Amino acid sequence: MNEKRTMTLNLTEQEMTVLDQLCAKKDLTKTALMRQALRLYQMVDARLARGERLFFEDEQKKDKAELMVL
Amino acid sequence: MKGSIEIFDLVAQAVVEAELVDEVTTDDFLVTQLEWRPVVVEATRELVRLRAHDLVPGHFHWDWTRKAAQLELLAVSFIAIRCAGSLQGLMKIETAGHECRLPEQAGKPLVYIDYLETAPWNVKSLMKALDRPTRYGGVGSRLIEAAVRRSLAEEFRGRVGLHSLPTSERFYIEACGMTPVGRDPAKQNLLWCEFTPEQAEAFLTKGAP
Repeated sequence: MNEKRTMTLNLTEQEMTVLDQLCAKKDLTKTALMRQALRLYQMVDARLARGERLFFEDEQKKDKAELMVL
Repeated sequence: MKGSIEIFDLVAQAVVEAELVDEVTTDDFLVTQLEWRPVVVEATRELVRLRAHDLVPGHFHWDWTRKAAQLELLAVSFIAIRCAGSLQGLMKIETAGHECRLPEQAGKPLVYIDYLETAPWNVKSLMKALDRPTRYGGVGSRLIEAAVRRSLAEEFRGRVGLHSLPTSERFYIEACGMTPVGRDPAKQNLLWCEFTPEQAEAFLTKGAP
């Protein structure tokens, strides 16, 4: 069930730069970071499918914006 | 995943083999509702009657069956301990969407322990209230150990975090060696506790209580 499969991921130079930066910031390898991204995407998608909504809130500025996920 | 672990049979005063599994099913959740919850509620009533309010478990109302829909999520894992044919402990962890709060590791990912419960017959304060012997020791520690090992497997270097119920704070801080970071107003003011990689390693090395 937990057997891993390999895939090739094609990214632009800019996307690869961002991936490298995030890996350094989060102390993760590229594989671990992409796995994190997939988990988060699935979790957000599942909650949106249940009718929930996703917001970013800045308590100091009293600013609240809904994030639209495709 | 299935693995063999050891817990302590407090009645027989002997170490016994138990099974650590992450293939938890809806049926396991039903077992907690049918077998665990009545005992927790009975003990809670007795503790209230004895006015031992500080020992009343903060989780007496938990309902694991409501988490069944999360079995399909990649970011969520359920880990259980089975021994003598019964479920002895159950834990829900999340492996995405949570970050460290300790300044020296702020922003780094961690394994978040969302729920951890041991069967009521393994909780000394509950069994004392019901005047019954406590069955197994070390179940909670083994689950924490499983969370740390999962953190290592996820490349989180052993970082683990949780919101502790008031009755469990001493266990996480003194027995496990986690750092109490602060109260979280967004989570019923529960105490946020966190393992650094060094603390996690020490916890694994010394052996959980």
